[in-house]
Amino acid sequence: MKLFWPKTIGWKEELEKLRQRPVLPPFHPDVLSFTQALSKRLIKFRQEPELVSLGYWLRKAHIHEMKEAWQADTLDRVVKARGTAFHIAPSNVDTIFVYSWMLSLLAGNRNIIRISAKEQPQTNRLLSPVLELLQDPAFSAVAERTVLCTYDHNDAVTAYLSAYCHTRVVWGGDETVKKVRSISLAPMANELVFPDRFSLAVLNAKAVLGTQGEEKSRFSQQFYNDSFWFDQMACSSPRVVIWIGEKEEIEAAQNEFWTDLQKVIQQKEYELMAATQVQKFATSLWLASEPEATHVIRTNEYSRVGVDQVTADVRERHCGAGLFYEYSASELQEAASILTDKDQTLAYFGFSKQELIAFADCISTRGIDRIVPVGQALEFSGTWDGQNFLRSFMREIVVIG
Amino acid sequence: MIQPYHLTKQEKQEKLLKSLTELTDYHMENSAPYRAMIDKSGGFNQPSLLEDIPYLPVQLFKLMELKSVESEKVVKVLTSSGTTGQQVSKIYLDKETAAAQTKVLVDVMKPILGAKRMPMIILDTKSVLKDRRSFSARGAGILGFSTFGRKHFYALNDDMTIDWQGIEQFLAQHTGSKILLFGFTFMVWKYVYQEAVKSGQTFDFGDSVLIHGGGWKKLQDEAVSADTFKEELHRQLGIRRVHNYYGMVEQVGSIFVECSYGHLHTPSYADIMIRDPITFQPLPQGQQGLIQVMSELPKSYPGHSLLTEDLGTILGEDDCLCGWKGKYFSVSGRIPKAELRGCSDTFAFDRKGR
Repeated sequence: MKLFWPKTIGWKEELEKLRQRPVLPPFHPDVLSFTQALSKRLIKFRQEPELVSLGYWLRKAHIHEMKEAWQADTLDRVVKARGTAFHIAPSNVDTIFVYSWMLSLLAGNRNIIRISAKEQPQTNRLLSPVLELLQDPAFSAVAERTVLCTYDHNDAVTAYLSAYCHTRVVWGGDETVKKVRSISLAPMANELVFPDRFSLAVLNAKAVLGTQGEEKSRFSQQFYNDSFWFDQMACSSPRVVIWIGEKEEIEAAQNEFWTDLQKVIQQKEYELMAATQVQKFATSLWLASEPEATHVIRTNEYSRVGVDQVTADVRERHCGAGLFYEYSASELQEAASILTDKDQTLAYFGFSKQELIAFADCISTRGIDRIVPVGQALEFSGTWDGQNFLRSFMREIVVIG
Repeated sequence: MIQPYHLTKQEKQEKLLKSLTELTDYHMENSAPYRAMIDKSGGFNQPSLLEDIPYLPVQLFKLMELKSVESEKVVKVLTSSGTTGQQVSKIYLDKETAAAQTKVLVDVMKPILGAKRMPMIILDTKSVLKDRRSFSARGAGILGFSTFGRKHFYALNDDMTIDWQGIEQFLAQHTGSKILLFGFTFMVWKYVYQEAVKSGQTFDFGDSVLIHGGGWKKLQDEAVSADTFKEELHRQLGIRRVHNYYGMVEQVGSIFVECSYGHLHTPSYADIMIRDPITFQPLPQGQQGLIQVMSELPKSYPGHSLLTEDLGTILGEDDCLCGWKGKYFSVSGRIPKAELRGCSDTFAFDRKGR
């Protein structure tokens, strides 16, 4: 066990002290000023778009908006923080630990955050600004309710913290969720888990063909951001492109779309790496050997595999870095049949809200938690994988007068 | 002319173009998955150049089973050496392909080792050979090269310690005759050379020739060059001649051995091509890129044309000072592993992405 915060060695004593601190009321002024201070620091990382968007998400106006929505939601009700939240953060998407922690903090909880054992304050671009702020006496209300730590593969520590906390938040995919779920949680605690997910895009062929000029280039750029920002490895990045329309329309739209996307990838100087090029090549051939694959089209920038079914197996084989499965249907409703429990985000282009709501009604599996316009696939929101963070981080006391 | 390094560029191109085209057709007829892969990615048209022969990434053999014979006909399964937990390639050989493999190995090595069998020290443990039907790359290598020697002596104990006394006895018994040494590059370095240095053993293997292969990756990490390797083995152990070879289980027949000038050579039934690591376009002589290997041998599985993950450079063709014809080249290592970011597993417990 290594503590990044507080700067002591005895973690069990720290946990005892932590237990004594009262929870804060939701949206406490000290918490709000902490989120603003962090926001200001993060917005300065201009070279790192993920940090900037985290900073932007934490800005005063946005938090205020969240607060107002929460107040409207809880009018005349007694809602309190749960107590202590134990967050197990993923290492690959390092911004997640801050989102998770901030939402819990806004709810008023004490927080224990386990970050990946790989992280070092010197190398983690987020850890140093966070630690600097925690040292500032102005933020002592936050600092004394926070434990930031890391430890190696160790079930005993996880068991200790799980028995101690009131809420456990598990990020990091199926294996992590399975592993952590086998470690029992305090009977009174609740749990939020974030397993592996899979995402798709649905494009209206007619609408794609009808898009011109600036709007057209913006559309390709946004699709690029959704797909390539995390090398197509983020859970929310589209891996399947569903085309809706008549056969000829779809073919024409595909030609335009992929040519435009290729140009964007080249303009953005997206870094292609030998290892991923070879892996993409191997994966697309592997898929081609299966009956559900109809054809493979390879370019330097991406590989497209036409499929007439998107089986669980085909989903599992996806390797990221610009591999797209393409599926065609004549009506939006038809696409609902290929969705599975695992599906998370559907990025769309060219459909009305009514059409999308009707589509959501047709989904018969557990699949799809977000339907967002192309360009917003990676945007974090306070409701994730069907769970509202603030609600999960708080509890309601029913008072009947 | 020294066979199998006798064909000139023109002769070899014509021969390989014909045989590799036939093999592609053959595998499309006999392996449904192979056919699907080729058909669905644009099909196969009679090629006019060697570079137009379709190629599969070596990695594919780790992902799926590929064979062009019925399971009953398989007599040998080769597996790649992988570290624990890694998927290994499985290569299925029938009688014909296995026999061709043995024959080719003899042909390729003959110009270096001659026809006479030499007393042989294998710088490995005997336990690698346990399972006779399923061979690891190490086992297959040892068995293949064993045919060049007699009175085989395994110099490493099961716990990888070296049996110096045994070696001394063996050398004493065979004074006056040429000794053949065989081992894997990294193991020779770690368990023989470094052990000798550690225990202060200087040795004289006498009139000896060492054949070693298996890749430089680990030695590169320790910054040991091919020249250092040769010099040190000579200084510490008195090994006179050292020949490296490059090859992989995934392609039988592709054994590229170093000539006396230290260049890896392509024999008449195999060839290499260098491709751009990003676009896979063929690169001219002198430029470094991904090595594509081609061989006339693989008939029981579609491995006649493979794109490796190794980086190499063609140094020349038909004009090596050693007199052998064909392309000669150098291998400079592997492409670096990609570390893609994503939301996938990290806690359980930081295993991935390391």
